[in-house]
Amino acid sequence: MAKERKKLKKKEGNAAKYTTRNKALNRLQIKLPEFRRLCILKGIHPREPKKKFEGSHKTYYHVKDINFLAHEPLLETGRALKVYKKKIKKAQAKKNWSLVTRLEANKPSYSLDHLVKERYPSFIDALRDLDDPLTMLHLFATFPAEASYKIPAETVNNCRRLSLEWQAYVARTHCLRKTFISVKGIYYQADVAGQKITWLTPHVLSQVVPNDIDIRVMLTFVEFYETLVGFVNFKLYHSLGLKYPPILDSKLEAEAAELYAVMRDLGKEAHEASEKEKDSNDFNSLSDTDTNHAQEPVNTESRLAESRARLASLQDRLSKMAKPEGNEKLLGVTDDDENMEEDENEDDDTRQCKALFKDLKFFLGREVPRESLLLLIRAFGGVASWAGDNAPFEESDEDITHQIVDRPTQGHIFLSREYVQPQWVYDCVNNRLLLPTIDYLLGRVPPPHLSPFVDNEKEGYVPEYAETLKRLQTAKEGKVLPLPGEEGSKDTEQFLESVVANRTESMEELRKTQKQAILEKTYQEELTKEIAGIPFSGSIQTMDRDEVDGEHVVEKEAYSHPETMDEEPPSAIAKAMMPRKARKLYAAMQIGKQKKQAEIDLLKERKRKSERKQNKKVAPEIEFQHTFESRCKASG
Amino acid sequence: MRSSEKKQVEESKKAASNGAVVSDINGVPSVPDSAREDISNATSESEDEDWHNSSSDNDGDSSSISDNTDESSDEDDEDTKAINEAMLDYMGALEERRQREALGSEEEEPRSARTEVESDSSEDEVPSRNTIGNVPLHWYKDEQHIGYDLAGKKIKKKEKQDQIDSFLAHTDGSKSWRKIYDEYNDEEVELTKEEVDMIRRIRAGRIPHAEVNAYEVPYVDWFDWDGKGHPLSNAPEPKRRFIPSKWEAKKVVKLVRAIRNGWIKLDKPKEKPKFYLLWGDDLKATEKTANGLTYIPPPKPKLPGHEESYNPPVEYIPTQEEINSYALMYEEDRPKFIPQGFQSLRQVPAYSEFIKERFERCLDLYLCPRSRKKRIDIDPESLIPKLPKPKDLQPFPNICYLEYHGHTGPVVSIAVDPSGMWLASGSMDQTVRLWEVQTARCCRVWSLDGPVRHIAWNPRKDLGILAISLQSKVLLLDLELGTSDPDEVSKLLALNPSVMDNDGDGALVTWMKHENLKALEVKHSQEVLSITWHHKGDYFTSVAPDANTRAVLVHQLSKQQTQNPFRKLQGRVVTAMFHPSRPFLFVATKMHVRVYNLVKQQLSKKLMTGLHEITSMAIHSKGDNLIVGSKEGKICWFDMDLSTQPYKTIKNHHEDIQAVAFHTAYPLFASCADDSTVHVFHGMVYNDLLQNPLIVPLKILHGHSKTGGRGILDCCFHSNQPWLFSAGADSVIKLFCD
Repeated sequence: MAKERKKLKKKEGNAAKYTTRNKALNRLQIKLPEFRRLCILKGIHPREPKKKFEGSHKTYYHVKDINFLAHEPLLETGRALKVYKKKIKKAQAKKNWSLVTRLEANKPSYSLDHLVKERYPSFIDALRDLDDPLTMLHLFATFPAEASYKIPAETVNNCRRLSLEWQAYVARTHCLRKTFISVKGIYYQADVAGQKITWLTPHVLSQVVPNDIDIRVMLTFVEFYETLVGFVNFKLYHSLGLKYPPILDSKLEAEAAELYAVMRDLGKEAHEASEKEKDSNDFNSLSDTDTNHAQEPVNTESRLAESRARLASLQDRLSKMAKPEGNEKLLGVTDDDENMEEDENEDDDTRQCKALFKDLKFFLGREVPRESLLLLIRAFGGVASWAGDNAPFEESDEDITHQIVDRPTQGHIFLSREYVQPQWVYDCVNNRLLLPTIDYLLGRVPPPHLSPFVDNEKEGYVPEYAETLKRLQTAKEGKVLPLPGEEGSKDTEQFLESVVANRTESMEELRKTQKQAILEKTYQEELTKEIAGIPFSGSIQTMDRDEVDGEHVVEKEAYSHPETMDEEPPSAIAKAMMPRKARKLYAAMQIGKQKKQAEIDLLKERKRKSERKQNKKVAPEIEFQHTFESRCKASG
Repeated sequence: MRSSEKKQVEESKKAASNGAVVSDINGVPSVPDSAREDISNATSESEDEDWHNSSSDNDGDSSSISDNTDESSDEDDEDTKAINEAMLDYMGALEERRQREALGSEEEEPRSARTEVESDSSEDEVPSRNTIGNVPLHWYKDEQHIGYDLAGKKIKKKEKQDQIDSFLAHTDGSKSWRKIYDEYNDEEVELTKEEVDMIRRIRAGRIPHAEVNAYEVPYVDWFDWDGKGHPLSNAPEPKRRFIPSKWEAKKVVKLVRAIRNGWIKLDKPKEKPKFYLLWGDDLKATEKTANGLTYIPPPKPKLPGHEESYNPPVEYIPTQEEINSYALMYEEDRPKFIPQGFQSLRQVPAYSEFIKERFERCLDLYLCPRSRKKRIDIDPESLIPKLPKPKDLQPFPNICYLEYHGHTGPVVSIAVDPSGMWLASGSMDQTVRLWEVQTARCCRVWSLDGPVRHIAWNPRKDLGILAISLQSKVLLLDLELGTSDPDEVSKLLALNPSVMDNDGDGALVTWMKHENLKALEVKHSQEVLSITWHHKGDYFTSVAPDANTRAVLVHQLSKQQTQNPFRKLQGRVVTAMFHPSRPFLFVATKMHVRVYNLVKQQLSKKLMTGLHEITSMAIHSKGDNLIVGSKEGKICWFDMDLSTQPYKTIKNHHEDIQAVAFHTAYPLFASCADDSTVHVFHGMVYNDLLQNPLIVPLKILHGHSKTGGRGILDCCFHSNQPWLFSAGADSVIKLFCD
């Protein structure tokens, strides 16, 4: 008789540590969509066991992760909600509308707060993973609130609000570091608490939701991201001593025009109040809400006014961010607000960023991306206005230093200001210096826009314009006027630096100069021959001979150092001694290297071709000039 | 009786035409019953014969008619029935016709035409010509007349058409469908348009006359409908309506208690602030998740490069040809993103893939398995082993110094004499040549009767004997060099008489004198491929791989004796060699090298090469190290004190290694292969047993050209100089000096 064998559960090894997805579903007693939702919210992802004990085609989760899910209160909430939905459906089917309304009203709600804390135990953790949330929220903020896409309008509004709050924080603390206009959208990189946060906003054009995506997945992500970014914003605002949420968005949207009138009043009030605040709280920093509590003895009225004022000032700022048609007087208020910030906390970078556009006044044309430019200009210490009803200042303002336009021609041109294309602002920001506007002027094709995220030296190819920018930067740092030819001789250190950095480049240049020297030499020879009266065909023959001789010389030279010629690179021989593993690894590395080199070569090739094309275009003009001159000579 | 009923009907009709309330035919109580009765009788299709039954549906005042019918005689009853039937039939026929016309069918049932009711309305009353009154018509069925006119004269029946004619008349005439046969008056009546319309309206259940407006007087609903379940209920209200409900009271008590106890909260809970201070001030990143596993953050997406710019440098934008060429690529090789350049920011369109990319990122975040991978950041150059520089290991053969021309076929084997003065070479052109090493002069040529396979120089300096393998023979040739002792040589090469005696069928080999050369001949049964001498110069081995158990033979020159040391051999033997100082014999088969102790007559070691096919073998002069060359271009170095596994395997050649060689004095060894290169290595063996041999590749020597698919066939070192000879398939021998 066969002995009954009990199947023992594994206690160690991969089979004990990991479980497949289907097993997890069975364990949790939920369907796949709910599981997916839970995984997204809890941040649980599949893992890769060393040994895939049930085949490589399966998805494996860590058993601990699944146990963790099993204890999640959301699991139960989800079930309860499901049952509740059934109730509503039943009532609807029975046309018991009163019950339906009652049920809808008392629908149980749930929050994801605990998940945020659980997934990101410290604030830094949250900041570290903020890239995806911000990009997502900025994307959803641009979505059409159309029913056919099944994106709730509430979500879109909330996303918009959260992204504006974030932008307001970034602008206020001047922590924006890099920005880049790509074909995909506009990238921003901010430095918050030492964490580099990069996010991407789409171009301000309407989005079309493709059919082949599952919007439910994205909405689940957005649901969590909304909570996360809300808490992050709260913390950030709290650290600045500001109230959160800053404005009631719904009010603002509902009674747009009236609210502005109210805000104008509030703005004045806020201005006065903030003045008062400054006087009274010189000794006490305003960074904490606790300070408010500490000031209990101060009469409640003034406190109320204070908070109102602060709220109002923020509202202004946000409204300015949100609705560019803000109000001119608010600008002054916000500036004052900014002055109140503690300066000790700022590092060099922030100070530099803050001062970049200081004392500059911008005016934005209708056709430029206003939100993006406002964020940039505010974050780098500038002042901006735009073409609109309630803009802070008019286009005719005499103090405007730069007008940002993106159109072929401009009707009325003020001589007191410069008309530049938007790219100028982005390039200035990336290079931390005010670039000469000559290349970016109205109607010109601006110089190439380079990514600030690329380490050119590491990539092995430095675009031409990057070098120009670098020269400008070094010139600014050294306070020396940029002279492309001579900068090396003036500052040997700089020269050395640049040489080390661009060794390949310099090699090329060297080769170029050599070539030029040779050309010059031949030219000289030809001249002397001409003078001597040697006919051209003869000269060709002699030249041929010369060339042959030259080749001989080369050969002789080659033979005169047979050892050096014959010498193989020592590594080539040593490769024979490499163990197989190392040899294969080396070969694989070589492949990667070659690929990279091929890319660089391709870039250089293209560059050369384009240059040749340009030269060709230029050449006929010169020829024409020559012929013209000769004709003139002949006639005159 | 009939007339009275008719009158009644007429009255009702009048009332209807005068604007009496006639709304719906079925079930509207406000319609005068008589009229309704009539209409319903006249129109309803479902009820045919017994309209009494149907009339009994009506309530209330219908009793008058039912009384009437009760009173009426059988005849009367029959009569009314007939009229009704006629009407109904007519209607049915009309309907049928219409349908049939629609269907386009040709066949038609014979229709029984019956008397039509006279128009009821008084206006269009035309006195009928028949005066028989309301009598059953079948009374006149068999008569010649149908009745009597006003003057009392008989009205004759008309000539009856036969059925075909009537059918044709029906089908032909466009108006035939509205013709009815009046049985009472025996005539055809054509219905006017108005009449047809009226019939149609009656059938539809509407008021017969289109001009009547039934709704002129507004309908007053005297009944208060609000809150009444059913309009008509005279049932008294039940008692429970008037006494308070016990259960409701209980429920209320329950609710009140629940409210008092706080189980039910009537006020909406105060809204908590949506966001609050979740984190403290600690700015330390945590590595562990709440479930104790290490947190693996999602990898950050790659940051954009210059090529993603809206206005990238020109060199980043691919040309149209390049973009076209992407279409020919495999899907996975195709670049995902093609850079584009725009002249200004306003021309940049929305990026169509944006949402898709975000969605894919979402999928990556929750679907992709995450694992921490240690990124190995190795400098590729660090993988190349650090070896002493070849310059420090000089002297070694470096450049081609001399070439020995003369052979006309591939030089298969070369050997240097122990003093280093002479070089012997054997070739496929059936010659053996003797060269002076220093001058590259060919001193002597021996033409033989077959291609030379292998040659080996006797290690004794005073002998000058060369062993040559010629197919199945081994020649021991006296080279007659000045340095050799001619007496001893001739003594050795003289045929021993005892050997002659031994000669028999069972002998392993046959020793004999060569006919025209000064040489001794050892005849084997199979082709001999390799000969090696013992270091003392008396013994030599010959390997004839095809000779099965006699593949390896050991010959003694002085006694001219031959032994077969092995009763059985494992595998095909490639070559056999003596240990340079001890009584060991190395036998290389296809994959292994076996070391036999000749004194104990047993296998002492089996070296596992791990190679596919061994082609050659060489032994270090100290005897503890061995190199083996193989067909896959690998050299194995064995340190016999270390293990039976190779100490080092070097893959250096692309093609078959033909020969390997050790230098007897310098720490050098070399391998030559069909890829016409010779690789020279530094192979230092230390006396200290703890120190492993040092192997350094020194030089790759080129120079030979490939001929007939073969490159260099043999190589050997000079006996006391760091020089290397290589014999190529291009029939040239080269000398490489340092």
